[in-house]
Amino acid sequence: MERPIAYDKLAREDRWIRMRAREVAELKVAQGFPPFADLSTPDSIRERVHGILVGEMQAMEGAGRTVCDFPDVPWEFTMDMARQVWDESRHVEIYLRLLEHLGGYPGEFPETTILWRCACAEDAAARVAGVNRGLEGLACDVFNQLVHIARKIGDPILERAVEFVLADEITHVRMGSKWLTKLTEGDPERRRKAIEFQETIDERFNLGGVRREGDHEAVSISIATDVRRMAGFTEEEIERLVRTTQRSQVY
Amino acid sequence: MAHPLAGHFSVDHSARLMRNYRYAVERAMRALGGWIALTPELSAKLLMGRHVWDLAQQADAFGRRLPELRAHTQVSEPASERVVAFMDAVEEPAAPGQTVERLVGVYRVLKPHLLSSYHDHLVRANPVYEPPTRRLLLRCIDDERRHIAAGETVLGHLCAPALAERVLAWQRRLEALVEAAGGVTGEGLPPAPPDTAQTPIETSDDAREFVRLERPVASWPMPEDLREALDSFGESLRARNLAAVAHWLAAGVSPDPARDALTGATLTSQRLVAFARLGHQRLVKWRLEGPDAAVTVLARWAPGPDGWRVALLDVGRIEVLRPALPRH
Repeated sequence: MERPIAYDKLAREDRWIRMRAREVAELKVAQGFPPFADLSTPDSIRERVHGILVGEMQAMEGAGRTVCDFPDVPWEFTMDMARQVWDESRHVEIYLRLLEHLGGYPGEFPETTILWRCACAEDAAARVAGVNRGLEGLACDVFNQLVHIARKIGDPILERAVEFVLADEITHVRMGSKWLTKLTEGDPERRRKAIEFQETIDERFNLGGVRREGDHEAVSISIATDVRRMAGFTEEEIERLVRTTQRSQVY
Repeated sequence: MAHPLAGHFSVDHSARLMRNYRYAVERAMRALGGWIALTPELSAKLLMGRHVWDLAQQADAFGRRLPELRAHTQVSEPASERVVAFMDAVEEPAAPGQTVERLVGVYRVLKPHLLSSYHDHLVRANPVYEPPTRRLLLRCIDDERRHIAAGETVLGHLCAPALAERVLAWQRRLEALVEAAGGVTGEGLPPAPPDTAQTPIETSDDAREFVRLERPVASWPMPEDLREALDSFGESLRARNLAAVAHWLAAGVSPDPARDALTGATLTSQRLVAFARLGHQRLVKWRLEGPDAAVTVLARWAPGPDGWRVALLDVGRIEVLRPALPRH
């Protein structure tokens, strides 16, 4: 099997429509919608859940590729990534069912592939930094907020299911931190590049100021500082993320 | 009656078998992991995603057993080059249209063979001094029975009658390779284990649910005027009636992509395959098929004073329809 594979090899059923994230955001803004579903209406909650479903699918595919692409890494790393594939496959099932619960269907909104592209980094350390720390960190923010909103609107199905997914994501961030350190031991240059990669992802997923520090109901994506601490992000990292969100004003 | 301490396997022999199993299981785990991204169907993605972790745990357990058998920990070893050739062939189908080959290789050939091998080993392993190996094998047997049943469910869903011959040919080829290798241990093919009662299926690992979750919606939710516009547009595409296609295009939208793609193609059917929301607009994908070609047309529809019109027209894919036969 080809290792690694090109971005455009990602296989989908016909029902999915793939678009660039920037184009989706621009077309929505042109119609008077926020660029990123803001959880203010049932439709926008469904759109957010659909976006998460797509993200979970790509996370499953990305972790699967990591199991496949790096046969020479420490065995325990492969074990953690295989575990992550299982977690993500359950998350896909959970979000398919949540989408059903909310009256939606797979393919109801266009798919963007930013997450998948990040999962295609050629270095294993960059992948865990970018995916497990950058993207799963974003998942912590998004899911924490979704749990809060579900509680507020009285949807215990959504609340409970997402809370369990969030618990898994915290574990994935911890795995990312552990393997970023272990894989780059004695190689500061490799570590620097991996962290740089994570920071470009953090920057990209600030979504032009959509992700910010603030109340769940006041901002579109609220940075989950407590959850991030639990997942092992340092105070310095959290502060740096908050600072970058303040200057990321262009989508 | 054999003495209770009579044994079939030496410690070294047992360690070699652990390494042989680990080789097959590790390769299957990495193949399933890599295939998830290359496989379009959701049910197959979920199936593979579930089993990667089970296989990792099996490989890990075989690897941990090794130092208990005076061998290096976590080592995989193929019994011979023929086993390598067999696993290479199992891993070979990587094209999007080869999902059934991927599943057949793992769920109809490799896993049934591993199940037989584990069972054969289990019945011959000494119950007095080999319980660690026996427990490990029992766990793998349980996994494999569950995996094979799940794989069959998804294969039953994905394997259309038209593919049956192709799939059988692929299965026969892999069976010949594993037979030529003498199985993953190189010691010959073990007999199939006796049929046992159906393994209970856990709710979280129920392949019938993967299939159900994959099923498309019965009908796309859309306003009636848009449905009429889409019916007309799709039919105009199939008939290659460019004047009728042009009627639905908003000012400034070129019909060229459709003209370029449809000219020269004989198309006998059209169907709407994707319908997505983008604010007030809708993204719509058609698949047009004929005896020699398939064309995917993507259009972004926007509501306006004249009703729904195409604001963007694109041809997503042009395919020449050929059966995706595996290489021989």
